[in-house]
Amino acid sequence: MNTLIEARGLKRYYRRGSETVKALDGVDVSIREGEMVAVLGPSGSGKTTLINLLSCLDAPTEGTLTVAGKSVAGLDEDRLVEVRRGVLGFVFQRFHLLPTLTVTENIELPLTFLGRAPDPKRTQEILAMVGLTDRAAHLPNELSGGQMQRAAIARALMIEPRILVADEPTGNLDKKTGESIFRLFKQLAAKGLAIIITTHNASFGREADRAITLEDGRIVKEERTDAAK
Amino acid sequence: MPTRYLGLALKNLKRRPVRTALTAAGVGLAVAVAVSLGGFVLGYRQAIDKSIEMLGFQVMIMAKGCPYEAATLMLKGGTGLLYLPSDTYRKVKDDPGIEAITPIFVGIAQKEAGGVRDDASQKTFTVLDGIDVPSFVAMKPWLKFKSGAGYSGGKWFDPASKDEVVLGYELAEYEQRKVGDSYYATVTPFGKTDPVRHEFKVVGVLERTGTQDDGTVFLPIDAARDAFNRPKQLTILGLKLKEFNAANMREFENKWLKLPEVQVVSLQQVKTTLVSLVGTAQTMIAAVAVIAVIVALIGVVNTILMSVYERTGEIGVMKALGARRGDIFELIWLETLMICLLGSIVGSIGAWVGAGLVEKAIKSLADLGVSGSIVRITPGVIGWAISGSLALGFFAGLYPAWRAASMRPVDAIGEGAA
Ligand SMILES: Nc1ncnc2c1ncn2[C@@H]1O[C@H](COP(=O)(O)OP(=O)(O)OP(=O)(O)O)[C@@H](O)[C@H]1O
Ligand SMILES: [Mg+2]
Repeated sequence: MNTLIEARGLKRYYRRGSETVKALDGVDVSIREGEMVAVLGPSGSGKTTLINLLSCLDAPTEGTLTVAGKSVAGLDEDRLVEVRRGVLGFVFQRFHLLPTLTVTENIELPLTFLGRAPDPKRTQEILAMVGLTDRAAHLPNELSGGQMQRAAIARALMIEPRILVADEPTGNLDKKTGESIFRLFKQLAAKGLAIIITTHNASFGREADRAITLEDGRIVKEERTDAAK
Repeated sequence: MPTRYLGLALKNLKRRPVRTALTAAGVGLAVAVAVSLGGFVLGYRQAIDKSIEMLGFQVMIMAKGCPYEAATLMLKGGTGLLYLPSDTYRKVKDDPGIEAITPIFVGIAQKEAGGVRDDASQKTFTVLDGIDVPSFVAMKPWLKFKSGAGYSGGKWFDPASKDEVVLGYELAEYEQRKVGDSYYATVTPFGKTDPVRHEFKVVGVLERTGTQDDGTVFLPIDAARDAFNRPKQLTILGLKLKEFNAANMREFENKWLKLPEVQVVSLQQVKTTLVSLVGTAQTMIAAVAVIAVIVALIGVVNTILMSVYERTGEIGVMKALGARRGDIFELIWLETLMICLLGSIVGSIGAWVGAGLVEKAIKSLADLGVSGSIVRITPGVIGWAISGSLALGFFAGLYPAWRAASMRPVDAIGEGAA
């Protein structure tokens, strides 16, 4: 299967006054099509930092990174956005739906940015896939946390990305709801989408195809799980 | 600028209706001031032009004195009259450069208490114009008699009569006089102390002209001279030159300034004087408008910046979802323009509705030397104000939009550990 993301010696240092925080300190990862990778590790270990780099939201201090065939290390935001557009879908811990837009409007918004016209049929399909058909016209504040996260996933899927990135997508949800979201991710991965998620939930790690554990900005464990095909 | 972010921008503005409304109100206020000023500049010029045009003559010969005062008198009616010897007319009238000339004797009558309504705001005097009908009417061919019940048979008086008058439209309305009615005027003859009450017969009522003529009583020039006991005087000679241009005017002026008692005033000069006098007031209003605009501008920038900061996370998310710098810029900029557009529409409507009040206020502050409407809010003025406000929005939006567009998604979303 094709490699979508290839990172070598990835480093991300933050300067905080005179001191340098080595949030990520030399990480090698590669992610293939249809693969679901969980990033585990204690708080502050660099999970968010890593996932931001892999998804081109942030630029590495050092190292090489190729995303969907493009070398992205050293690019500025104006170039990174071009790499993200149409390739990467995002799901956030705090959902981040636009509060003034209905579910339908929210999930069609990324199409506007890409200059594509929404296709109502496609919107319906995706709403059905995440189980929100009957909430299409609701505003985000009329939804439960789980529903909001489903809407956010629908929004990410709308552009038919090749990679879905989710930073603690279940962090603000209860256990049961979190599990249902996680199952949704597994279904999507089964359809060929590459998914990277960070989580504190070790059982999710075991259910992903691969689990990477970070500590102090380095990979301390990388396991191919039983779930891997 | 047709744009796909219109709906989104609108929704963002509706999110904080009070803040949006207050900011737009600030813009509206500035626009209202600007529109009123524009309407004043325009309306005043037109009022002067019209008043001058409706005098029928381009040049006046009058007794030496303040030309501004004299001009105001002619345009609007007033007191403080100076008189010329009546033979000035005889001397001047055969000048070959003259196309038409008419002598006018202006006198002021005390207000006759017989008026139906006598409120304090009304003038306490009435202007009596003694005229020579044929030459006067030649200058003002538009003068017509009112017709209809009570007004039929309106005509000019017999030049030899001593007790016939023709009333201007407004005066007749105000005094409720019709053809055949009596009109009383109280006049203090020159050199006497006791006022004399005259009874005149109304032989005609003029149609509305929109000028000072509407408030004037016309009578034969000799009758007026008699009444005021100035048998050998006149107030003004109204003239039309065969060819009116600067050179002819100068030549004409030089020729007749030789008469010791007269001054020659071109209405073009009068206009320039009036416009420049009022220009001072207009500059002051303009200063207020500029301040209002600056305040509104700061308000708009502040509001939009605040809303940008409040929505930092959202902006970051939109960027993560594929929005380019230009998309965010456009969105924020549109919001700014929409506030300015809203404000300018509200302000224009306000100014339009309030034009009457503005006019009253201006008139109460200063004597502008013309009668009639001096604030004219035209589509053109409103168009300028709205475009101006959008142009300001264009600049006001630049900085906030640039700030928003330059946010990096990681920093903006802020879900990291930081
Ligand atoms: N913008 C920043 N400036 C300075 N230091 C930062 C910044 N972002 C993250 N860090 C530091 O980098 C390290 C890794 O942070 P990161 O957010 O990647 O951890 P994480 O594994 O996602 O933690 P959590 O599980 O709490 O989300 C931490 O020590 C954090 O303090
Ligand atoms: Mg994190």
